Amino acid sequence: GPGPVPVLSAAPAAWLPALQLLRRGSKAVTRHWKAMHFQRQKLLALTEYLPPRPALPPRCLPRDTPTAHQEDGYARVLRRQAEEVFRSSRMVAVCQYNSMPDEDLVTLQHYLRKHNIHVKFVLNEVVRPVLAQSKYRNLLPLFVCRNILLVSPETRAREMLRVLKRVPQVNLLGACIDDTILSRQGVENFARLPSLEASQGQTVGALSLLPSQTSSLLQQGPAHLTALLDEHIRRLRDTEGSTEPPPGQGTGNH
Amino acid sequence: MWRWRLPGLLRAGGGPGGVAVPRAGLKKLTLPPDYSGITFPEKPKLKFLDKVPAVPKVQREPRRLRDIRGPSQVATDFIQGQYGILALGGGYLHWGHLEMIRLTIGRSIDPKSMFAVWRVPAPCKSVTRKSLGHRMGGGKGPIDHYVTAVKSGRLVVEVGGRCEFEEVRPFLARVAQKLPFPAIPVSRESLQEMRQEEEEKRLNNQNPWTFERVVTSNMLGMRKYLSPYDLRLKGRYWGKFFLKHRV
Repeated sequence: GPGPVPVLSAAPAAWLPALQLLRRGSKAVTRHWKAMHFQRQKLLALTEYLPPRPALPPRCLPRDTPTAHQEDGYARVLRRQAEEVFRSSRMVAVCQYNSMPDEDLVTLQHYLRKHNIHVKFVLNEVVRPVLAQSKYRNLLPLFVCRNILLVSPETRAREMLRVLKRVPQVNLLGACIDDTILSRQGVENFARLPSLEASQGQTVGALSLLPSQTSSLLQQGPAHLTALLDEHIRRLRDTEGSTEPPPGQGTGNH
Repeated sequence: MWRWRLPGLLRAGGGPGGVAVPRAGLKKLTLPPDYSGITFPEKPKLKFLDKVPAVPKVQREPRRLRDIRGPSQVATDFIQGQYGILALGGGYLHWGHLEMIRLTIGRSIDPKSMFAVWRVPAPCKSVTRKSLGHRMGGGKGPIDHYVTAVKSGRLVVEVGGRCEFEEVRPFLARVAQKLPFPAIPVSRESLQEMRQEEEEKRLNNQNPWTFERVVTSNMLGMRKYLSPYDLRLKGRYWGKFFLKHRV
């Protein structure tokens, strides 16, 4: 029946909840949030979680640098390829690359291939360490934006400039030709120079100019004498009609 | 009045410091995930659970709400799958909920590469209802329907297979929202992290006064206002609710 039931058990009375609390209110498990006794609320407020507070907040401590990320095998392969390219080519031109249609890119590559110039797409993060350790250290400032390398075992700057002039999306920044770093102006000047064979021929011609004149110089005296005597003979023949020239005069001088 | 709003400005990782300029770098080639140690059950989809048990109960059983109260002792860890729905409160699941779970998960998984497994039994607890509009008295009402009791910390369903948590999480979250108790989608790793976090919080709590300490030593006669179950529940549970913020 209703009403508090006295408990007869060996356990002390303090073990059981107070009967007055059992009498009022709903059951222990309800669908709604059952209102807590104020003492219980105070206990919960007292025993809340307090997070640890270090003397120095973590944002004031020096931020540990991110550990060097794992060396990517792919990056190593690309770096090796870049080293190979730099070692094997005489001319390396660095150009800024803006996106262009694929077919135009293929056409550009075709025209450059005709002059034995290869187009290489490089990533700055791959190429920069390669350059820093090789002798092309001074080319580092050029590798900032998206760029391509035009490499060739021959130095045909004139054809390269001619092809690049037609393509507005690729701008020449600088080049390294035969271990000489050239700016854009330098490349243009270099292109205007005559080719190596022509300049070699010119040098040889200039050097051999004087020796070629030696034989004519030596022969100048006798040739002049021969011409004078011939002139004299002709004049005497003209006036020969009456008198006969005395023999043995032509061979008087030796 | 609801108005269509444009989404906010796109901040590419900048925030208060500035806008980060997007940069292209070397493509990081990662290996595909390894799904070698996964065993598929015979039927990948969830089994149909009956509304009424095969042998319907004759004797009406008492309400016994203690099957909702407190933490769960069964089905707290993963068995077959990698991802699941964790209950963060107690409640009863009836046939409607179970059908919703079965159909939603059946629609969202690909049976060739994913599977799902029940972690709750079919409804077996009978719930009685008196007809509406009558006064109190006249005995216990007849059996209305059957339910399954779920305590907090129990897994409801498990999903596994050749899939990632990010693929599974959307539909598990949608299912979890429709359940009568708060629930979240979890994976094996996230459950372990949650437990570790709780343990860390318990250890580095700077408050010298904990509920457990006060209750076990009956400081200030607090047990007059608390239940004997609070010795076990340690202030983290109140009725069927699980108080996640409490240590």
